[in-house]
Amino acid sequence: MSLFNEFSKGLYEKNPVFRLALGLCPTLAVSNSIENAIGMGLAATFVLVCSNVIVSMMRKAVPNKIRIPIYIVVIATFVTIVDLVLEATRYELHKSLGLFIPLIVVNCIILGRAEAFAGKNGVVRSFVDGLGMGIGFTLALLVLGFVRELLGDGKLIGISILGEAFKPVLLLILPPGAFLTLGIFLGLFNWIDIKRSK
Amino acid sequence: MKEIFKLAGILMLVTAVASSALSIVNNLTKDEIEKQKRKAVKASLAVALPISARNAIHPIKKGDKILYYKGYAPEDTTRLNGYAFLAIGKGYSSKIKTMVGVDTTGKICGIKIISQKETPGLGTKIEKIDFQEQFKNKIAEDLKVVPKQTAEREGGIGSITGATISSKAVTKSIRIAIDTTLALIRAEKDNL
Repeated sequence: MSLFNEFSKGLYEKNPVFRLALGLCPTLAVSNSIENAIGMGLAATFVLVCSNVIVSMMRKAVPNKIRIPIYIVVIATFVTIVDLVLEATRYELHKSLGLFIPLIVVNCIILGRAEAFAGKNGVVRSFVDGLGMGIGFTLALLVLGFVRELLGDGKLIGISILGEAFKPVLLLILPPGAFLTLGIFLGLFNWIDIKRSK
Repeated sequence: MKEIFKLAGILMLVTAVASSALSIVNNLTKDEIEKQKRKAVKASLAVALPISARNAIHPIKKGDKILYYKGYAPEDTTRLNGYAFLAIGKGYSSKIKTMVGVDTTGKICGIKIISQKETPGLGTKIEKIDFQEQFKNKIAEDLKVVPKQTAEREGGIGSITGATISSKAVTKSIRIAIDTTLALIRAEKDNL
């Protein structure tokens, strides 16, 4: 598989949220606005790329029996770094993402890619895979955040778009709205797949 | 047996590298994080106590804990003209922290919501200026949550549509904080 394909598979063919259905917990929780979606997406992408690179670099030295605890230490280290750096430089964003940053540790996309890809492939490929998957995750959050913020609050990036006359569908920014929107998108992607394979 | 030591050794090595990396990052960011936190508190004090001079609001501590702040007048920084303190209340889905400023008679000068994680789009509206402005010039006894229309006619705090619990939580926490802090200040004066 070419390097470009390794990157682009994360965007659509193997999009972690819409196709692999991984990392749904943070997806449901922080897709209520575009700002949160971007913040969470970029933080997770950074951790994913770094952990993929390190895991790939260590793959020959890591004994098979203890690979999972080692992966988790690597991931947790990068998450803590992101947490501290964000708090020091983007205090407001750090406040609004709150608990979800430490939870990147258990985002199964990251451990999933370490186990399924970076532990078996070279550094460059792992880097590209992490980047593609991370951007795919960010895009998925953005799509959901766009729909939920626009219809649920009448705004985009905090700026009123639909005006006063529009009555926001509050349900969409509440947790059930996350399930509904995600479900519709999963269905849509499956439908496109079925159409194409015919 | 030998294998166990080998595995434990590798694991220890990995965690040692990870923790040294973290201690470096922690050292680099520690001061900046402290600075950001202080900046946030300072900004909220300026909103809560606009009558005091920005640089003359001093914390009164008991041990490490800040009990309240004393604010001094801009034209005469030896004249005490207000107090500021934190009100913490349990909202719908989070603890709501508010900085409250009162003058020496106990009348509210301003409030500023510092942190909350209420329902986005509903409870988060407590951060809106119009809601927080309502508290100005009220004393603890005036702090009752009523429907918006009633508040315009008869006074009180107009609740936010769809966020009654959050509105009530903020109001109640402020009422309690004013009562307890003023009692504390009176008790301190009596002791002198």
